[in-house]
Amino acid sequence: MRTDPRIIAFDTSAAHCAAAVLVGDAIVAERRESMARGQAERLMPFLEEVLAEAGFGWRDLDALAVGVGPGNFTGIRIAVSAARGLALALGVPAFGVSTLEAQAEGIARPCLSLVDARRGMSYAQVLGAQDGPPVIVDDTAGLHPDLPRAPIADPATLTPTMARIAAARLATGAALARPAPLYVRAADAAPPRDPAPVILP
Amino acid sequence: MTKTLTVLGLESSCDDTAAAVVRHREGEAPEILSSVVAGQTALHADFGGVVPEIAARAHTEKLDLCVEEALSEAGLGLDELDAIAVTAGPGLIGGVLAGVMLAKGLAAGAGLPLIGVNHLAGHALTPRLTDEATFPYLMLLVSGGHCQFLLVKGTDDFTRLGGTIDDAPGEAFDKTAKLLALPQPGGPSVEAEARNGDPRRFALPRPLLDRPGCDMSFSGLKTALLRERDKLLERDGGLHVQDRADLCASFQAAVSDVLAEKSRRALAEYMTLSPVRPIFAVAGGVSANMTIRSALDTVSAEFGATFLAPPLKLCTDNAAMIAWGGIEAFRAGRRDDMTLQARPRWPLDQSAQPMLGSGKKGAKA
Repeated sequence: MRTDPRIIAFDTSAAHCAAAVLVGDAIVAERRESMARGQAERLMPFLEEVLAEAGFGWRDLDALAVGVGPGNFTGIRIAVSAARGLALALGVPAFGVSTLEAQAEGIARPCLSLVDARRGMSYAQVLGAQDGPPVIVDDTAGLHPDLPRAPIADPATLTPTMARIAAARLATGAALARPAPLYVRAADAAPPRDPAPVILP
Repeated sequence: MTKTLTVLGLESSCDDTAAAVVRHREGEAPEILSSVVAGQTALHADFGGVVPEIAARAHTEKLDLCVEEALSEAGLGLDELDAIAVTAGPGLIGGVLAGVMLAKGLAAGAGLPLIGVNHLAGHALTPRLTDEATFPYLMLLVSGGHCQFLLVKGTDDFTRLGGTIDDAPGEAFDKTAKLLALPQPGGPSVEAEARNGDPRRFALPRPLLDRPGCDMSFSGLKTALLRERDKLLERDGGLHVQDRADLCASFQAAVSDVLAEKSRRALAEYMTLSPVRPIFAVAGGVSANMTIRSALDTVSAEFGATFLAPPLKLCTDNAAMIAWGGIEAFRAGRRDDMTLQARPRWPLDQSAQPMLGSGKKGAKA
């Protein structure tokens, strides 16, 4: 493996396309574009522009990092699906990095990381020697008063950190699961209301 | 161009996650090198229908695994392909998006051309994949989400002769199963139950048969079935197995009669084109129903047309038809770029008057 691995990180978990390219310890390109919709059409040309700015093509990459949310369900699927396709075609690993983890990078552990979940709710996770499960809560005021809190960051600003986290994981050489969206919230689905009729012989 | 083309197809527009590799040398029969379909029936079982968000979640984490399986079954690497074809609509947008983005990642990473394929075109061109059907042919596309008669005159030339103005028959089968406490998907379970039933016991309506043209309606049929069921429930406090079988048989007979009569009209119109080798083809999950299949076969014979019903696994959603649609499009010179859009609605016949849906989202069919 190269001593200065090249990694592109990207995120579409909210109203943006964001990406950063890491070479060794240095971020050599970073871009963010705000957009309420159209990430699916914009993402790949956007990534190619960022790569070009770094002076690379797809095949120069050693790994990918992708923001897995939590956030907009469609948004995180857009980035995760693209990352899985790229990883398969390039034969390089793709690392899923959550906003909860990325914004807490560099904060002393254990700590509490929070992400706005809208509708008055928050995603919350205790990060430590062993991370707790991410949960959704409606009141964060009284949550783990003993723990320091990671500053809440706009996920669009976190791609450089996501790339660094991926670099650290790449260095361990451990086989890791494919990136998957971090939904936390269950799918909105209700069982049918009309009961099935009783069947008689 | 006599080049051999090998194309990977991806499908994720409803509740089947699928990938396939198809190879075609011009002048020869196309060859399906692999066709992997991962269904999601169990995931949706508790909800009495496909839940779009659940479907999208499953596609996102399954489709690349299907691609790997399809490539390994075909014994090929991505570098041995000529293009990546993907369903770009119409369908449940979350799943379509997952497929389109995976395809973009694959195409960009492997340096391959990307082709967005209309899911309905995939079904409509299947007789060319399975039987090398020549244009023009008549197609009845009948599934859980669609029901239309198409004159297929070229790889990108479809004329809609008529279609459902409300529900699709597959949807009606699913709802019937739900009303009668039969398992989903409703098509096979209603058909199995109907085998023990009397199709003449309940007089269910045959909507729109009194009107000219090839348009159909199935929502009234479902309501009529519900009314008959409720009468039985009120009388007996439950539904006897034999009554249920009779309801299934009567329902299936009504659907079959409507499709057969409308096929007769569509065939009459098709035959005015004087096709050298007349073909009436079906596709879509409902065409797996044997009663319906044999009714359509009979009507086809009345007109001296060859009846083509692809094997079951190519009637229902699959990715071989998408790979094939990609091959046809590739040969016609069509390529998409990385801005390819996933479309929830995408009528095949762009010139026809919208029958279903309108407004900002555009016509559904």
